[in-house]
Amino acid sequence: MINLSRLRKTFGAIVAVDELTLEIHRGEVFGLLGPNGAGKTTTVNMAVGLLKPDSGIVEVDGLGSPENAAVRRSIGVAPQEMAIYDEMSGQENVSFFGRLQGLAGRKLAERVAWSLEFVGLADRRRDRARTYSGGMRRRLNLAIALVHDPAVLLLDEPTVGVDPQSRNAIFEKITSLQERGRTIVYTTHYMEEAQRLCDRVCIIDHGRILALDTVEALIARHGGKSVVRAQTAKGETRIETDDPVTELKRLQETGGLEHFSVDRPDLEQVFLNLTGRRLRD
Amino acid sequence: MSAILALVVKDLRLLLRDKAGFIFAFVFPLVYAIFFGAIFSNVGGEATSKLRVAVVDEDGSEESRSFVESLTKTSQVEAVTTSREEAVESVRHGRRLAYITLPKGFGARRDGMFWGDPPNVAVGIDPSRQAEAAMLQGILIRCSFERMQDMFQRPEVMAGRVDEWMKRVQAADDISPAWRAALELFFPAFKSFVQNIPRDESGNAASQPGTATGRAQSSPARSSWQPVAIDVEPVAPQASVKISSYAWSFPQGIIWGVIGCAAAFGISLVVERTNGTLVRLRTAPIARWQILAGKAGACFVTTVCMTTALLLLAAFVFNVRPQSVWLLVMAVVSVALGFVGIMMLLSVLGKTEQSAGGIGWAVLLVMAMLGGGMVPRIFMPSWMQMVSHISPVKWAIHAMEGALWRGFSPAEMAVPCAVLIGVGLACFALGVRAFRWSN
Repeated sequence: MINLSRLRKTFGAIVAVDELTLEIHRGEVFGLLGPNGAGKTTTVNMAVGLLKPDSGIVEVDGLGSPENAAVRRSIGVAPQEMAIYDEMSGQENVSFFGRLQGLAGRKLAERVAWSLEFVGLADRRRDRARTYSGGMRRRLNLAIALVHDPAVLLLDEPTVGVDPQSRNAIFEKITSLQERGRTIVYTTHYMEEAQRLCDRVCIIDHGRILALDTVEALIARHGGKSVVRAQTAKGETRIETDDPVTELKRLQETGGLEHFSVDRPDLEQVFLNLTGRRLRD
Repeated sequence: MSAILALVVKDLRLLLRDKAGFIFAFVFPLVYAIFFGAIFSNVGGEATSKLRVAVVDEDGSEESRSFVESLTKTSQVEAVTTSREEAVESVRHGRRLAYITLPKGFGARRDGMFWGDPPNVAVGIDPSRQAEAAMLQGILIRCSFERMQDMFQRPEVMAGRVDEWMKRVQAADDISPAWRAALELFFPAFKSFVQNIPRDESGNAASQPGTATGRAQSSPARSSWQPVAIDVEPVAPQASVKISSYAWSFPQGIIWGVIGCAAAFGISLVVERTNGTLVRLRTAPIARWQILAGKAGACFVTTVCMTTALLLLAAFVFNVRPQSVWLLVMAVVSVALGFVGIMMLLSVLGKTEQSAGGIGWAVLLVMAMLGGGMVPRIFMPSWMQMVSHISPVKWAIHAMEGALWRGFSPAEMAVPCAVLIGVGLACFALGVRAFRWSN
């Protein structure tokens, strides 16, 4: 669906993206993870035509480069910043961006109504956006990205600053969109979100791909061992192991297991193992 | 095209909902135009435009009283006779423009019209109002001439006066022999001239030389003899049309509205960038030039609407009728195009909304100051008037005035309009080239 081939982008002496190649499949939720300054935003901006790569090729849905305006029609973007007009109502915001996407007349009205209904803002469609809560604004941001029924959706940190209810609603919408065959590119700092939603995850740093696979495969390959913490008759013990069940059986037989906990590796562990624990600015 | 239209409609909708911006674009210029138009049109009493002076008559003679009476009769002066101390205080505190002192001996000197020292008048003026001092001097000179005019209007009185002067010259010992000889030749001839001035039914001097003899029948008759006739008329092709003070206050008020539009839309482009909506606009299937064309279109439409609304108000409420509607349309369109370009350039001056607003307004205020948007250029020193040519505000006011009441021909209108369009295109090109598409 989206092919990035040997993309390179520099800003002065800084190499933001370095010979990056990846393929995003039709209908998958693709997670793009990386620390601050890793090159995520630059990669995404090139993928949607906001930035021109110094070298390399971007192709969307077999139509060509998104620098071509017609190709951008198949992409919907929900930027991390609330890209909405506060003094316009939710309906006016969605309708305006629908017009820019070439919609008009009844088709526009239908798509606007569907988008607002889909994100749960139909009741508040006539209210000014400035009166919306953080979660409602995020959902409006999503509705605008959906209005022209794009094949590809780019969601940049779509749950920043929203309450658990709104976050859960956004998760449900993303799952629903995937079921409708949409391809979704998802960038986030929340590892549990990526683990829950994404079919495949790409972790990049310093403009290069560090790992790209399903969440399970990444954990298996880069997550490290499980940690078993147990209290036995002999005292407290901590064991790193690939097979916690066998280890717990052994403790039961030898020392009288009183209580225990098992920490399995997750995507956050994978992320830290790959990108390091050093603070990034 | 529909994308550009959608962008224009969006910006107009946002402007209508921004109360402060709307007030600055539409209400402020109206307040400006009405305020200054009212000041200079004497609303609130005729006396508001008169030169308020105090007169100190130290002579107390018939001649000095006659002079004060002449001064009081003029429509441009409001004179009160008072003591010297009060007169000085009233000027020092700014209550009166000037005080005029007629010193002792004023009447005697005025009576000796052809010899001796001339009557002197001392004027103490408010130093902050030097421009009006020249006007006051002119009025004082005119009042002095009225005395002579009065005598020429009554030949019998004048002939008796000449006899009296003749006797005094012959008796005086402070006149040089040469001057005495000259006057002894002049007075009899002058008396003969006065006695032969043609008269009307009431016995006063009536018509101008030539008319009575039939040599200048086509010339209009003059009601009385005058040392000089001063006719004042407005310099406009249709001199018969009275130029209202609103005719020049409205162009200035409109310019403030235009400036407000340029500032508001310039800042709104920066806001689009900082709020992130520009990113979304850029990911839409439209070209960059369409995004900027939409903003420019909204600025153009707002400017034209604001200008048209104010001009209609000026026409129907304040009777300011343009001398050419088509030339006024040309001026309005040129002004709008010029300031759309300036708006585009302003949008690249700051990275943030605050800096763009601050820098933009600073630039526009300097333009307004230099271009006559705050103080009419006529009151500026000559070097500043020269510098003002670089200000688009000057050309904008010039174009509006040219169509409204200066009676410019199409060729004359072409100059300010071409300057405005040229400035607009250059600024727009520079702005588009320097515009930052991302933070």
